[in-house]
Amino acid sequence: MNFDLSKGLEWAYRDMLTFFPENVSTFGAQLDSIFALIYWFSVATFFLTYGLLVIFMVKYRYNEHRKAYYFHGNNLMEFTWTLLPTIFFVGLGLWSDGAWSKTKYASRVPKPDVEIDVLGYQSGFGWQFRYAGPDGVFGNKDREQITIANPFGIDSNDIHGKDDFVIISPGGTRPIPIHLPVNKNILVNLSSNDVLHSFFLPNFRVKQDALPGQWIKVWFNGSKIGTYELACAELCGSGHYNMRGQVFIDSQADYDKWLDEQYKISKPVLEAPVSSDTTIVASADTKDSKTTKN
Amino acid sequence: MQTAVANANEIHGHDTHHGADHAHHELSFIRKYIFSTDHKVIAKQFMAVSLFFLFVGGLFALMIRWQIAYPGSAIPLIGNILPNSWVSDGAVTANFYTQLLTLHGTVMIFYVIIPLAVGMFGNFCIPLMIGTDDMALPRLNMFSFWLVPPAGLIMLSGFFYDSGTAAAGWTGYPPLGPTSGPGQTTWLVSLFMIGFSSIMGGTNYMATVLNKRAKGLQLLQMPLTVWALFITAILITLGTPVLAAAIAMQICDQYLHTGFFMPDNLLVTAPDNTYVTNAFIAQGNQLLEHKQLLGGGGQPILWQHMFWFYSHPAVYIMILPGMGIVSDVLSTFARKPIYGYKAMIFAIMAIAFLGFIVWGHHMFQSGMNPLLGTTFMLSTILIAVPSAIKVFNWLGTIWKGNIRFTAANMNALAFIATFIIGGLSGVFMASAPVDIYIHDTYFIVAHIHYVLFGGALFAIFAGIYYWFPKMYGKMLNENLGRKHFYWSFVFFNLTFYPMHILGVGGHMRRIYNPYIYEFLQPLQPMNQFVTFAAIILGFSQLILVVNILWSLKYGKAAPRNPWQSNSIEWSAPAHPGHGNFDTDIVVYRGPYEYSVPGRESDFYPQTEPPSENEVPVHSGH
Ligand code: HEM
Ligand SMILES: [Cu+2]
Ligand SMILES: [Cu+2]
Repeated sequence: MNFDLSKGLEWAYRDMLTFFPENVSTFGAQLDSIFALIYWFSVATFFLTYGLLVIFMVKYRYNEHRKAYYFHGNNLMEFTWTLLPTIFFVGLGLWSDGAWSKTKYASRVPKPDVEIDVLGYQSGFGWQFRYAGPDGVFGNKDREQITIANPFGIDSNDIHGKDDFVIISPGGTRPIPIHLPVNKNILVNLSSNDVLHSFFLPNFRVKQDALPGQWIKVWFNGSKIGTYELACAELCGSGHYNMRGQVFIDSQADYDKWLDEQYKISKPVLEAPVSSDTTIVASADTKDSKTTKN
Repeated sequence: MQTAVANANEIHGHDTHHGADHAHHELSFIRKYIFSTDHKVIAKQFMAVSLFFLFVGGLFALMIRWQIAYPGSAIPLIGNILPNSWVSDGAVTANFYTQLLTLHGTVMIFYVIIPLAVGMFGNFCIPLMIGTDDMALPRLNMFSFWLVPPAGLIMLSGFFYDSGTAAAGWTGYPPLGPTSGPGQTTWLVSLFMIGFSSIMGGTNYMATVLNKRAKGLQLLQMPLTVWALFITAILITLGTPVLAAAIAMQICDQYLHTGFFMPDNLLVTAPDNTYVTNAFIAQGNQLLEHKQLLGGGGQPILWQHMFWFYSHPAVYIMILPGMGIVSDVLSTFARKPIYGYKAMIFAIMAIAFLGFIVWGHHMFQSGMNPLLGTTFMLSTILIAVPSAIKVFNWLGTIWKGNIRFTAANMNALAFIATFIIGGLSGVFMASAPVDIYIHDTYFIVAHIHYVLFGGALFAIFAGIYYWFPKMYGKMLNENLGRKHFYWSFVFFNLTFYPMHILGVGGHMRRIYNPYIYEFLQPLQPMNQFVTFAAIILGFSQLILVVNILWSLKYGKAAPRNPWQSNSIEWSAPAHPGHGNFDTDIVVYRGPYEYSVPGRESDFYPQTEPPSENEVPVHSGH
């Protein structure tokens, strides 16, 4: 069993704030700064209270010739140490609420440049993504039409749905990446057809549970080109740990190129989530698919 | 004495208060030690069962830790003797791992901390500290204990299903919960039973505190331990029925295809693909499409609301008794009145009240309307205020004290130290936007353990060291007690502090193999460090067991009042029998009259009559 003690002790000699994965979303910096504020507040409180604790323990340790001070307390002190934390905490709450409402309130989602649908899935553990296709419009979703082959329940009667393309990415070490453009408002409509999952993009400071039966809007804006990991943060079964995904943040040109390729493949053949010998066509419209095997 | 009339009909007669030990009818062994109605025996029973579960839960934890440190490598010593459905090549499987983490959380919360903090101390302390002979309802009390062993067996029996036991986390969120196998059902049934046990205990404690206080004992003269347990009893009685209802609803969703928590059109498969409940159809790896066998039209987050409506107050059920114990231990060993007695009671009440309106902070990222997130954030942040008040009052208590470092007091001081850190990490998570990132990461795991292990469990240790003499009539070995404390305190911090850092690194909780993720790979050495510290922490607890067993046999006989303490229980005989007191108890003052000026001795028991011409001490503030 190899073990590198100096690495194992990193928590002791490195500042906690340096452990955050790099932030690449527009609102992430604000969230990190609230974290940092609470962190410095905590450090100060820690030294204040631990300082008193240690000083008292040493200074007032037992001595049989001394008698303790008979004192039941003082209301002014009680008042002070009720008021001071209250002021700080209310301030913190108000400041936090600014960031919270900006990132999470549905009414404050900025106008999206790119919109995708995302489902977490449990039978095999991975993610399903839907892009609107060349027409830029999603087909209607119809809950009654949800099947394994059509996890989004794309309405087969809706013309806009015919060109939608779906990527089913298995988890594990080789997920199928999705691409998104840099510096654009991305809107993710998030849901699940089975159990709870949670859409966690550490570098973007994004986390939102996927709730079966409900579509939730999640937005972010990636400010740096690169490859980032997607994780599931809500226990969804024994393969929960394996729900790794990959997100490429591309320049607009690269992103367009990638989209074109996807349109050409159009009906991507995917690792089937349920069983390895059947291939499932991840499209609402199976008739004009070139790659059907089942 | 305000002994209820009905009590005269109990096994012991009213007159047995004089010479309690001998005036009893001889009880059979079974009535005396097994199906006993004596609150002290019941307390010991809770202690024995819960300490057993502490080791079971600890073992689960170490198996979890080994997997995170060295995924896929055999667990040392035990890996190769475990059944094949649990391990492959000696290393836990993903499925078994998920069961372990579920049972670890459940056992520690429902079978260790709650029964110790509430069952054991509630039973032992309340009647003795209010100067009465027993609980108001002794037989209810006996039932409340005797639900625990069968509930515990049912909980553990889940492991013997082919598909394993519950694996949806201690929070049991649907749809995962109701769509998994029969292990989930044993889990639900077991929790339902233990919930009933809690409710019985809670009502009993309330009735006892309100009706059975010794002559002269006013509410505002009760020790903070009793106050804390009293408020805890209210929390239990108001909160637990909601959990029980939620559990019943989840069982219905599983077997009657109701749809309390189940939305329409789910496509679900059993987690291990081997067991198929009648709620859905799946075969091996092949999921058959189908819609109707699962109930529909429900809401998964309804469960979360109901669960946390109980479980947030439950965290205070676990910590409030500890806060009371720590207050009494500190005051006794600082030889000083508790600082701000009334402020402390006010803080306990404020925590209890606010505790019922903050549950949504567990659900910031759940998909609940974010507007509610704002409200819950503000109420949660406010709950840090009474917590801060308590910390400052404890510091005020030892200020200018004359502090004795007994094992009990060291654990109490450690409680303050760890509770400060746990409270501060709570502030991070209470800020909803900060919680976006740290929710469901190891930061939460660090917080939980700072408040529950560092907080509740250290307070329980303090209480055990403090009251053991009265419980068993023997002194615990102080030397071993201190050793147990040092090892526990050091390795507790080395185990759980780094988890904050792992959480900041983005490490999700409940992850079987974190190193699938590139961004988590650099954290492996820290995970290994944590695991080694956890192993030592686990083994350190053996010192406590050795101490208890050794002291029971060879320990010094305890005097009546070994710590020169004020509260009423120390007026009882060294090893009180059924009926508790050998004198009539009359209370003259509050419990915190230490180092009163002008008195020879530095304590002034609540039951000691004032000397003549003495200006009566104004009680309890
Ligand atoms: C200053 C006081 C406290 C505050 C502000 C606070 C805040 C929070 C918040 C916001 C969460 C949810 C975090 C998340 O899941 O993202 C949480 C989780 C938790 N807290 Fe606290 N807390 C405090 C004290 C306590 C105490 C005293 C206990 C127990 C004795 C406790 C036990 C827990 C537990 C067990 C969880 C995790 C539940 C789970 O998801 O498994 N907390 N706390
Ligand atoms: Cu998951
Ligand atoms: Cu809570």
